[in-house]
Amino acid sequence: MTQAELEGRDATAAEAGLLARLRAGDEAAFEGLVARHYATMLAVAMTYVKGRATAEEVVQETWLGVIQGLDRFEGRSSLKTWILSILVHKAKSRGVREARSVPFASLGPDEPAVAPERFRDRGESYPGHWRAFPRDWSASAASAVEDRETLRVVMGAIAALPPAQQTVIRMRDVEGFSPEEVCAALDVSEGNQRVLLHRARSRVRAALEGHLDA
Amino acid sequence: MPESPDRVTCQEVTELVTGFLEGALPADETALFEQHINFCGGCDWYVDEMRTTIAAVGRIGEEDVPPELRDRLLAAFRDRGRS
Repeated sequence: MTQAELEGRDATAAEAGLLARLRAGDEAAFEGLVARHYATMLAVAMTYVKGRATAEEVVQETWLGVIQGLDRFEGRSSLKTWILSILVHKAKSRGVREARSVPFASLGPDEPAVAPERFRDRGESYPGHWRAFPRDWSASAASAVEDRETLRVVMGAIAALPPAQQTVIRMRDVEGFSPEEVCAALDVSEGNQRVLLHRARSRVRAALEGHLDA
Repeated sequence: MPESPDRVTCQEVTELVTGFLEGALPADETALFEQHINFCGGCDWYVDEMRTTIAAVGRIGEEDVPPELRDRLLAAFRDRGRS
């Protein structure tokens, strides 16, 4: 069995345990689940509806739906995918009422991952190559991700992202959804999912660079 | 998409890096990408920086749930099965 398969089996066993505790009315398990997914759910809701207050209402409605549906959940998808599908459904119908457009259909204008002036121009020798290399982080990287101040910078950078980018980076890199799960939950193409992830990660990297180079 | 069929520039590396890390690049672009980072220290660091970024994002942890929301949801959870 490969590492990924082993991890998958562990995840399935952990999820079965969690589901059993929820069905048995374990409040701590429920509270933990709400806390774990709260920020991502809010980000997803914000892509469909206007304003944080409405997004919070959508999150609340979703959990009420989850509570009601717990006994009917058949485990054909993972628990978090199921919760997200309820959320997207509720957020979409609320968004339609508010006449908001479909959030993942257009990506908006191109955004370079790195400011173009950091590369040599077409007229110069070695066009498209670094004017000056980015700094080598490898020595400080391991400790950097342990550092609370660094993580505060990362959280700030994520919070400042446009909702669609924030949704995708949270689902992928915070919650560990697979690309396929993100595409299915948000009804976004694989290519657009990757562009949003790329823009989000590039912006967070730039924020980290600014912090670590300072 | 790289402009030239036989090499990628540093600027292109910074745009292809997510596709590379996702294993989503076509084989020829993957080969060009790997060839570039093997010879370019700056881009090798850049790819490492993206990996560090991903690791850091994975560590940000939970955000606080507003207490009123948490209390309302816990009350609804407690009432489950009683109705």
